[in-house]
Amino acid sequence: MMKTFSIGGIHPNDSKISKDCPIEVLPVPSKVYISVAQHLGAPATPVVKAGDQVKVGQVIAEPAGFISAYVHSSVSGTVKSVGPRKDLAGNNVTHIEIDVEGDEWVEGVDLTDTLVTEIPEDDKATLEKIKMCGVVGLGGATFPAHVKLCPPPGSKAECLILNGAECEPYLTSDYRIMIERSREIVVGAAIMKKVLGGCPAVIGIEENKPEAIKAMSEAVAELQATAKGYEGISVMSLKKKYPQGGEKQLIDAVMGRQVKSGGLPISVGAVVQNVATSLAVYEAVQKNIPLITNVMTVTGDCLPMENQHNYKFRIGMPLSYIAEEAGGIPEDAVKVISGGPMMGKAIANLEATTVKGSSSLLYLTAEQTVRGVESACIRCGKCAEACPMGLEPFLLNRYARNNMMDELEENAVQDCIECGCCLYSCPANIPLLDIIRIAKGDVIRIIRTRK
Amino acid sequence: MTQTIIWTIAILTILGALLAVVLYIVAEKFKVEEDPRIDEVEKVLPGANCGGCGQAGCRAFAQHCVKSESLDSCFCPVGGNDVMQKVAGVLGVEVAAKEPMVAVVRCNGTCENRPRTNEYGGYQSCRVKAALYSGDTGCSFGCLGCGDCVAACQFGAIKMDPATGLPVVDEEKCTACGACVKACPKNVIELRNKGRRGMRVYVSCINKDKGAVARKACKAACIGCGKCAKVCPFEAITVENNLAYIDFTKCRLCKKCVAECPTGAIHAVNFPVIKPKEE
Repeated sequence: MMKTFSIGGIHPNDSKISKDCPIEVLPVPSKVYISVAQHLGAPATPVVKAGDQVKVGQVIAEPAGFISAYVHSSVSGTVKSVGPRKDLAGNNVTHIEIDVEGDEWVEGVDLTDTLVTEIPEDDKATLEKIKMCGVVGLGGATFPAHVKLCPPPGSKAECLILNGAECEPYLTSDYRIMIERSREIVVGAAIMKKVLGGCPAVIGIEENKPEAIKAMSEAVAELQATAKGYEGISVMSLKKKYPQGGEKQLIDAVMGRQVKSGGLPISVGAVVQNVATSLAVYEAVQKNIPLITNVMTVTGDCLPMENQHNYKFRIGMPLSYIAEEAGGIPEDAVKVISGGPMMGKAIANLEATTVKGSSSLLYLTAEQTVRGVESACIRCGKCAEACPMGLEPFLLNRYARNNMMDELEENAVQDCIECGCCLYSCPANIPLLDIIRIAKGDVIRIIRTRK
Repeated sequence: MTQTIIWTIAILTILGALLAVVLYIVAEKFKVEEDPRIDEVEKVLPGANCGGCGQAGCRAFAQHCVKSESLDSCFCPVGGNDVMQKVAGVLGVEVAAKEPMVAVVRCNGTCENRPRTNEYGGYQSCRVKAALYSGDTGCSFGCLGCGDCVAACQFGAIKMDPATGLPVVDEEKCTACGACVKACPKNVIELRNKGRRGMRVYVSCINKDKGAVARKACKAACIGCGKCAKVCPFEAITVENNLAYIDFTKCRLCKKCVAECPTGAIHAVNFPVIKPKEE
């Protein structure tokens, strides 16, 4: 019996159309705009000004606080300006505009393909490298990786879980890196495992990706046979269910432990990192390459097969440029989404640029995006059945519409992970997630002011 | 038979009398002393329970008025000066008349001025929309047009104008309770001085983008050029973050800025129409 998480979940069609498209490297455009807010937490502070010469991999913004991250230049050239520019939601964010000249990297970067399997001994130096290279979680939340890898005093990591579930339909970027860069990912896992004190590491992959499971298992076996420090790494295949890639769901699936309401994964001894983060850790620690590239999927049902791509992009590339490189936006696409169809965000501004966590350009047709007419809740309970956090969305919806903050808090609205299962399963087309998300924000604000 | 009836009546009478004594003692012992003026004040209040005064309702406001020594910090926006005079009469104190206020929508991004750059297909609520993104136009500051303010208004004073997609305030009905100000996630609505005969001059824009960006997003945007601030003889206009703001306590309604504004972002309302002189 294959494992999965125990509460709720749904089974959307996985639509992994672009899964057989190998990763291609996108050419660098003539100009990039690099955002200083590419991670969860405080936006970084720019340390360059107009007219400065920068090289690829040079720090251009420094963290502004504990939960923040370094931002590096993804190109070499001249800084043209530092100022506000609209991000993909249309809000103003400080961007650093760089005119591209050549492709000159900073010194000390190893750009060869040789696999470095030796795990560094000094944990402090490793963590410092991860921090200095601006590595953030690439599973969606872009939480700074070095913060997660330093468990608070008094808690101990018992298991490192690598998230290769990629439960969002359409997305195939993690799948491709698991096939093409499997050994690097395993080395990254071994590095993180060492930093966490040698706990076992489990790579969780959903069963609908047999090739990824095979590639990762082979890489683990190969490295365990040839190098030191790879004991305790294993691959676990998981039953396909959305949202398996959610941190708390994956812990439940792999370890059989549930994180308490309001608790952190470390409270049950788990640290979860995405496979793409593991690759970024490998590149940072073994190759000194800062996080300036990632893989994104360009896909959609309305996109012809030859235009489906998995691109290795650099941060700061305009999305319109990527769309153009991939053969243009199909005519019947009415909505472009960044991220998966379940949790991704619709892009309001295609002139926005890629960030560390960009994972896709997904084209949806009118038929796929239309919302049904809302009707009354008949309390069928389908939403409560689907909720992976064990909440009762129909109840939260009623409380939220009547501003009943105490009841919302009692019913743990703050635990909502915004996965969209309730909205997906509601036969009455009630915008449950939209309403609950607002209430969640209000309740979290109230809880914070109390402290 | 008769016996039973007599006994029943007798027992019930004694029981009633005893309980009455108990109730009397309890009532005397746990009596809540309440200022009788609270009831009197509550009677003169409008009873809308809108919360515009900052209290939980009219009863709470009455308690607040009676408790506080002067009425300086108390004002019922719905009842206005008339009601406050009555409250002052009940309490036997003086109250200074306050300028009546009115809600003003500081956005002129009509469909014509502010072209739509994308289409919003989600739940029709400004708060939901604002949580998702900056809105369906190039302007990330202006009105989102889903009508949260209309839903918040208890007095039916705000309506959406289908032609412009913007809310319109009915000045007669608006009580300046501030519910719409709180409901608007973009802070488009402001409470401003109602002004002499309703005459007001204000900047109908809250876009803080640089001039060129703002102008591209909306034809009627304030571009922060500062011409109005220069022409104002009363120093009522300040330009901060590429946005002009008219201080209504200083504005003397000379309308010089209105003529000066290159984008027509400054609005003058309720001024009498001056007929051109016949030659």
